[in-house]
Amino acid sequence: MKKYIFKRVLISIFTMLAITLVLFILLQLMPGSPFNDEKLTATQKAALNAKYGLDQPLIVQYAKYVFNMFKGDFGVSYNISKNTPISQLIQSRLPISIAIGGMAVALGAIVGLFLGIVAALKHNTFWDTFCTIISVLGVSVPSYVFALGLSYTFGFKLSWLPMLYTQNSPIASSVMPSIALSLFTLASVARFTRTEMMEVLGSDYMLLAESKGVYGGPLIVRHALRNSLIPIVTVLAPLIVDLMTGSLVVEKIFSIPGVGSLLVTAIQSNDYSVVIALSFIYSAMYIGIMLAVDILYGIIDPRIRLAKEGTN
Amino acid sequence: MAKIKKKRLATVSGPEIYKDTYEFQPDDFTLRGDVETTRIDTNFASQNYWLEVRRRFFANKGAFVSLILVIILGLLAAFGPLMTNYSYKEQNLSQKNFAPRVQGLEHFGIFDGDESLKTTTGVKEINGYEEKGLTDTYYWFGSDVLGRDIWTRVWEGTRISLGIALCAAIIDMLIGMSYGLISGYFGGKVDNIMCRIAEIINGIPRLVIVTLLMLVLPRGFITIVFALMITEWIGMSRIARAEMLKLKEQEFVLASRTLGAKHFFIIFSEILPNIIGQIITQLMFCIPTAIFTEAFLSFVGLGIPVPMCSLGSLISDAFNSFTTHPYQIIPPILVLALLMLCFNMLADGLREAFDPKLKEM
Repeated sequence: MKKYIFKRVLISIFTMLAITLVLFILLQLMPGSPFNDEKLTATQKAALNAKYGLDQPLIVQYAKYVFNMFKGDFGVSYNISKNTPISQLIQSRLPISIAIGGMAVALGAIVGLFLGIVAALKHNTFWDTFCTIISVLGVSVPSYVFALGLSYTFGFKLSWLPMLYTQNSPIASSVMPSIALSLFTLASVARFTRTEMMEVLGSDYMLLAESKGVYGGPLIVRHALRNSLIPIVTVLAPLIVDLMTGSLVVEKIFSIPGVGSLLVTAIQSNDYSVVIALSFIYSAMYIGIMLAVDILYGIIDPRIRLAKEGTN
Repeated sequence: MAKIKKKRLATVSGPEIYKDTYEFQPDDFTLRGDVETTRIDTNFASQNYWLEVRRRFFANKGAFVSLILVIILGLLAAFGPLMTNYSYKEQNLSQKNFAPRVQGLEHFGIFDGDESLKTTTGVKEINGYEEKGLTDTYYWFGSDVLGRDIWTRVWEGTRISLGIALCAAIIDMLIGMSYGLISGYFGGKVDNIMCRIAEIINGIPRLVIVTLLMLVLPRGFITIVFALMITEWIGMSRIARAEMLKLKEQEFVLASRTLGAKHFFIIFSEILPNIIGQIITQLMFCIPTAIFTEAFLSFVGLGIPVPMCSLGSLISDAFNSFTTHPYQIIPPILVLALLMLCFNMLADGLREAFDPKLKEM
């Protein structure tokens, strides 16, 4: 178990370093230099370079860059709002994005789990078909199509919910984005739960448990669900990634002042430093989640927990 | 040939019991080598693998319908733009924002070019064609804010989206397949290093790689394919590796090696044909992902440059006016959703056809 966690952490660190290296190289490739002023003499330029550490070897610059990134110092924005530190821009936006993303994950996981269980228990009935249709639709149709549909029906036609995000009523304005974002998670979780539950329900130990007199709720929850949860944990990690991608578009559609819409704006206005900073944050979040899920998986799954030699 | 006779055994009351007895004929003892008389026992003949796959695939209604829909959409993408006199980039500012009008259907009250606009004074019915006195102009899906025919643009966009997806999926397949097969076949240190590299690449969010690449490289078809290529091959390589690990210890590989086959011959000529089903299934799953990523990139503003269009850029363009002219956004969204749905169902059907054990679950 220790070896397994150690291995995971090591890989995560290497991945993070690889990302910072890519970002650093990109930063070097970006056109322009901060000291383009023609009035500067060579000595002044040299002095400036020395001041900002640009005369040092690349490897030292890289080390410094990594150190700054992890400290949360991402430099300043050039186009979106001139000379504002990027960390400041992000600070106010990150909680909104995380709130909506968290709501979407919770909604998707809970409803998806429920649908999957119902479909597996009522195998080959109307509920099963219903669940299958929902999961096929949810997996195939991009989240922004749902977002547009929701915003058109409930926002524009019926005027039940605000079409665009308003600061005054954050809860009412995050309902539609969360639902639109959650559908993919919901569909995937429902699908996996159904498959896993069916497999577990057909296994011998369920028969044993039943013959020992366990029935109803405890049978489903303690014996079936617990065992089918293990693989479901693994699919949650890639789902969170899709959520990040989806959030970009959904935040644009509902004009939510979150990190996703900031990234879209930064891309569209060529604000490279913001794009790079956000890429770093996205990657860090992603790697953190993956690491957490991997370790969680190791804790839940006795095959990994008890193994002397950790496998992949 | 020996004649079979039924001989009555017991004659006591009760059920009658017979026993088969053989009466030999002279030609039973001659050599049988001629084709006419020898037959293959069809009951126990080995079935052709591909025939079985095809039978199972066509038995799956959802997958079959999806296949037909994909073919129809493909044909429309190929020939749809030729069916009108408009080109995808031709602008006609005097004919902008026309609602759909189709010959024939206009007399039934649908697709007659009417659209209702919500204004401050209430709902207003307008018909762009009648206002301009155009009796002979038809935009089947309507025209957009620049007066371009949406029908032509949707199929042009489908063509580009499909083209990107197919190119990316095939390149992914080639890279991922080779990587996974080689990694699995050689095992040991090679496998370890190759797996770690793949894990690290997989650890970087796809969104970040694609976005950064699109910023650095010039925009266009090839760049999008390249960005998709870099991110999507990991899944394929995992499947190829897993299959390779299953197969490489089998006897036919040993036999081939004993006969002096080289490593790459074994990998690509002996093992690859055995896992082609899984590879094709994965390829089919790659296509909707690629379509989706492309649509996403276009929506964010990193897609195909104007005046070219893809499904994503059409949706992104129409999004700005989707509350006033909803008919502009419906066709590209429908085509996109239909394509994704069909390719997913097709891939599911293929997976079940190639691996019937899955279906029993």
